Amino acid sequence: MRNITKIFGHLKANDAVDFKLRENSIHGLLGENGAGKTTLMNVLYGLYRQEEGEIYIHGQKTDIVSPLKAISSGIGMVHQHFMLARPLTVVENIMLGRKSSRGIFLDTRKVAAEIRELSDRYHLMVDPYARIWQLSVGQQQRVEILTTIYQGANILILDEPTAVLTPQEAETLFSILRQMRDDGKSMILITHKLEEILSVVDDVTILRDGKMISSFKVTPATTKEELSRLMVGRDVLFDFNPAAVKPGKERLGMKDLRVKNDKGLPAVNNFSLSVSEGEIVGLAGVDGNGQKELAEALTGLRPAEGGKIFINGIEAENKPPAFFIHQGVAHIPEDRQNMGLAMGFCVSKNLIIKRFCQQPYAKNGLMNYKNIKNHAQKMIQDFQIKTNSTEDITRDLSGGNQQKVILARELADEPSVLIANQPTRGLDVGATEYVRSRLLEARSKGAAILLISADIEEIIQLSDRIAVIYNGELMGILPKGSQPETIGLLMMGKRQGENTGVKENQ
Amino acid sequence: MSKKINKIIQAIFPALLMVSGALLTGAILIIISGNDPIAAYAALLEGAFSNSYRISETFVKAIPLMLMALGVSIAFKNQIWNIGAGGQFTIGTILSVIVCLYFKLPPIPTIILSFIFAFIGGALWGGLAGWLKARFNANEVITTLMLDYIATYLLAYLVYGPMMDPNGFGYPQSAVIEKVLRLPKLIVGGRLHTGIFVAIAILFLMLLFWRSTLGFKIELAGQGNDVSRYAGIDNKKIIVITMLLSGGLSGIAGWNEIHGIHLRLMTDLAGSYGSIAIVIALLGNLNPLGIAISAYFFSVLIVGGNTMQNLTGIPYSLVDIIQGLIVVFVITRTAFRTESIQTFFRKRRYQHNG
Ligand SMILES: Nc1ncnc2c1ncn2[C@@H]1O[C@H](COP(=O)(O)OP(=O)(O)OP(=O)(O)O)[C@@H](O)[C@H]1O
Ligand SMILES: [Mg+2]
Repeated sequence: MRNITKIFGHLKANDAVDFKLRENSIHGLLGENGAGKTTLMNVLYGLYRQEEGEIYIHGQKTDIVSPLKAISSGIGMVHQHFMLARPLTVVENIMLGRKSSRGIFLDTRKVAAEIRELSDRYHLMVDPYARIWQLSVGQQQRVEILTTIYQGANILILDEPTAVLTPQEAETLFSILRQMRDDGKSMILITHKLEEILSVVDDVTILRDGKMISSFKVTPATTKEELSRLMVGRDVLFDFNPAAVKPGKERLGMKDLRVKNDKGLPAVNNFSLSVSEGEIVGLAGVDGNGQKELAEALTGLRPAEGGKIFINGIEAENKPPAFFIHQGVAHIPEDRQNMGLAMGFCVSKNLIIKRFCQQPYAKNGLMNYKNIKNHAQKMIQDFQIKTNSTEDITRDLSGGNQQKVILARELADEPSVLIANQPTRGLDVGATEYVRSRLLEARSKGAAILLISADIEEIIQLSDRIAVIYNGELMGILPKGSQPETIGLLMMGKRQGENTGVKENQ
Repeated sequence: MSKKINKIIQAIFPALLMVSGALLTGAILIIISGNDPIAAYAALLEGAFSNSYRISETFVKAIPLMLMALGVSIAFKNQIWNIGAGGQFTIGTILSVIVCLYFKLPPIPTIILSFIFAFIGGALWGGLAGWLKARFNANEVITTLMLDYIATYLLAYLVYGPMMDPNGFGYPQSAVIEKVLRLPKLIVGGRLHTGIFVAIAILFLMLLFWRSTLGFKIELAGQGNDVSRYAGIDNKKIIVITMLLSGGLSGIAGWNEIHGIHLRLMTDLAGSYGSIAIVIALLGNLNPLGIAISAYFFSVLIVGGNTMQNLTGIPYSLVDIIQGLIVVFVITRTAFRTESIQTFFRKRRYQHNG
């Protein structure tokens, strides 16, 4: 890609970017939130049309006018948000919109056989007849990869593929990518996790503010610090060592809590935990073990089937969400697109959707848009949200900047309790550092924080105590300074005391 | 300042594109039918503006259309597809006439009570659909449509039965309301009446409404169930409130037509206003000012269309076709928003600025 420029309004999302992908390689694309990574790849995939610049594929100038053209040029893309039809099977999804050899009839059998063959070749472990909704996130991602391979992709774009994966799933993905590389394919990998760049990537290109800053081969001598300095333009703090504080009285309590998931099956079982003033309790667990349901029950968004919830000492199970908001319970939800943000609202409105009835944002039943705008300007400054103006539609923000809008809203008014579900997912290193320091700041101001994360590193860095959830059950509570291996074992469902040698802490 | 103008242009542009697209397609159809499109549209304009009676008619028609479209737009903002504005309007007319004919009160209280009853009647008719949706998850497209039929037949039953004018020679209509209860005329020889001030007042109230916290709530609810619940909004309550207000405005349109124009009940007073109101709301992009302009545009089409038919022999159905085309364009609006068109304009703008 040569000299690519892509403009949105007054913003150059890509500014004369050169990008070169070698054959047989995995190429990392790095950059801060809003640096223009997704935009650049959308241009390559024909979703956006560049204002300037050319694309060359195998040395040949190619005008990619649409995704169809991209696919026929051998380019495939796995988006950050999957594009699969959930009720259909894998084969049906792959055949969607494609011609069949039998005219108007669908030759499902033949395609299924081909899929099985491809799946075996790359160890994708995909069952062609499984229905999408039955698959885990990692499996769905492999279906997306399979789709692109089936369509004949030689160049595969993956936009933050590991953000939603467990470490094990990520490892599986990487070995698949390596094998595809050995098979002659090339891949572009967008990620914020620098370890991944160091371990799987051959070359790396770094974008900052839409410009290409640097592009080089990754060698064993390349370091995380070096990468982040290039990305952010300054040194980034990776290690936090918060001083121990003496927690105050209980602010958030759960006793024998039981919650069901959307399918009506038990998701959280007899869960008891307590978080006190000035304390961060990390809740470690592999995604999908009841964390989402627990967080929703603790904020009134999902009924508690049994047990009790205490907020600031008040019995609160099955109270409406407004009660929790009133009590100062902030919530960073896992699903930012549907729950955390009104995607069609502008940034300034999204920043106040929980307090729009209160002064100074409203008075006598009328909204005060001047104050709302001022507030937004301050938040955009504080959290470095990258947007043209306070009135930009939130949908148009980059993934990480959308997350920052939620964080700004939830951290702004000194919450008394904070339920933070994957707060740094999708954030660049600089923003991650900032959010972690804000969490610690909220703690020192007395907030009781339940930090839900699948990232053991994050849990260890920030937590005063570490609880582990598996299959909806509390596996145990570990003290500050526990070893990652110990936490990992509990996350995999090995109970405390069960040949781990760790003693119950409560 | 230029930013603001830019924004306004951006807001109006799709609507203009849709309207001109519809008019152009209409012109092609006229050519195909062997007529002269320029003569046709000239006749249409003549029909709408050639004398003061006609001009006043364009406003007369625009009033109920605008009020109903404003009502519909409240529901649409909350993603509730209220297609039964006609029924809500009809209930408003019935209650207005009942108050005027049977409540033996002095004139001023009668007019005010008639207004309140019309609003509440329309509101309950809409609110019922809202309640059914909130309580039983009943699809509002079906319930509002059914309630629309019920209202139409209720009106027919009343004017053929209990409310039929005893001195009306058996015509299916009620007695007329007393002279003192009618809204005063604004011009001689035209039907334009003081109801237009009520309409303008409501237009301003709507502008204010979307800056109110309740307006914000309704908009937020329209952004999705999950996010509004997350923000502490009681979705079910808001659905009912939305439909109460939505129906209430159509009820007021009914009041306006009774006191200003029809002065009595007759069968099928709502005509096709309910469906035109939907098109107006969408063409106006659910914005009160946009709706006011769109309502006037449609009113010109309707008033002028009749004259066009008389002068040129081109059937009035051309107006229906234009209306239909606008619906199609509104629905395919996403096509107007495609990346390529956006890029085209952004690029131009960018070059202008720098
Ligand atoms: N459709 C759009 N309309 C307007 N602005 C846009 C649009 N898409 C992206 N932008 C802007 O372009 C910039 C680059 O966005 P992009 O999504 O490419 O960032 P990114 O590098 O992928 O960031 P992240 O790591 O947060 O996903 C952002 O400032 C964003 O607000
Ligand atoms: Mg992105």
